[in-house]
Amino acid sequence: MARIRRVFIDSLHLNLGEEDFSFETKLDESAGLDSVAVLEFVTALEREFGITFEPEMLTINVVRDLQALTAYVDRRTARRERAAEEDPA
Amino acid sequence: MAKYRDITVTDSPPEASGAALPRSNATSTPPAALPLVTLNDLLWLLYLYPIRLLASVLPRWFLYAIGKLSDPIAQFEARRPKAWAAAWIEKACRTTPAQARRISSQSLSNTMFRTLDGLLLLRPSYCKMLRCTGLDGIEHLESAIGRGKGVVLLTGHFCANRVALRYLASQGHAALSVHGRQPRNRAQGRLGKLFDPLSTQLLERANPDQIYIQNPDCSLTILRRLRAGGLVALQIDGHRWGTGQVFLGLPWGIRSGIFEIVRLSDCAVVPMLCLGRSSGFRIRFDPMLDIQRASSRETFMSANLPRFLGIVEKQILENPTEWRLWNHW
Repeated sequence: MARIRRVFIDSLHLNLGEEDFSFETKLDESAGLDSVAVLEFVTALEREFGITFEPEMLTINVVRDLQALTAYVDRRTARRERAAEEDPA
Repeated sequence: MAKYRDITVTDSPPEASGAALPRSNATSTPPAALPLVTLNDLLWLLYLYPIRLLASVLPRWFLYAIGKLSDPIAQFEARRPKAWAAAWIEKACRTTPAQARRISSQSLSNTMFRTLDGLLLLRPSYCKMLRCTGLDGIEHLESAIGRGKGVVLLTGHFCANRVALRYLASQGHAALSVHGRQPRNRAQGRLGKLFDPLSTQLLERANPDQIYIQNPDCSLTILRRLRAGGLVALQIDGHRWGTGQVFLGLPWGIRSGIFEIVRLSDCAVVPMLCLGRSSGFRIRFDPMLDIQRASSRETFMSANLPRFLGIVEKQILENPTEWRLWNHW
């Protein structure tokens, strides 16, 4: 979760500490100003974790729920690692 | 007749540029100071009720005849923005004052027919109403689709865009259209404000495959479409905020964020030009653009945005009467 918060801060160039903001509020604020901010955050997450979001997960409701997002990123990361172990080539 | 105002631009480009153009009617009026009824409101009242209801049964020629009859009223109602536009057109198109006035008037007429075409698109059998007289460069579109990363159709605010996009959808090339929400129509009175929900609803029904830039889900929806290998139509010439550029001789605010999607998704970009009206329109696709890739937004914008704008500017200068933003202010 902390890593996701860090990616959020970095990708949106926010001048914030990891703990001193409400993720949902800040994301809503950024998305309200410019929905591209959400896209930047998602693509930064994909780069950071080496995953690709499934199309049905590319919605603001998924991205703004930090717990659900963390669980999803964990699932995708685990799946990617399993696939890498099964097919090292 | 008034037109849909689905994109805004800078309020006072002439002043900002220092150009000697007449002032537009772009002043902001507090709602309480609005007149009760304006001529624009009456035209909308006719459009949204009797004409809309008749349009569901009447043949197109009859609807267009109504358009022709109401054209002088619409031209009179828009005389102030037209005077402003004519001075701008004269400079941008390097033409004579008389020709500039003709372009401004024709652009307004074409915009009105576009609004009437919007009613035809509400019919269940709208496909039968769309007569495409030419589809050029479809191989460019198909080659771009073949890359598998989605395609952005790059264009300006041309009157035929909506009918062309509905036609393309009927041919298996559905494109998500990206719009800004309508700002207040400056010619609107308090009565006209009551029509806003209905006019927005009609606009959305005329092209259901669209999303508003102000929607927080906008960029993710576009990304979903592109990742599925689909098409997204972007009209880049009508935004108010963003990177300062010169466009048609005036300083212009381009909402550059939308192009971040091109950079981040690695999609193809194909220029598209749609001309005409539902009774006869042409669509042209140009070869896919060679996009300069870049790791940062700034580098990407400075490498590509002037070229994107140049393409749309050329489309407009070659077809000035088909561009509907001349009289927009």
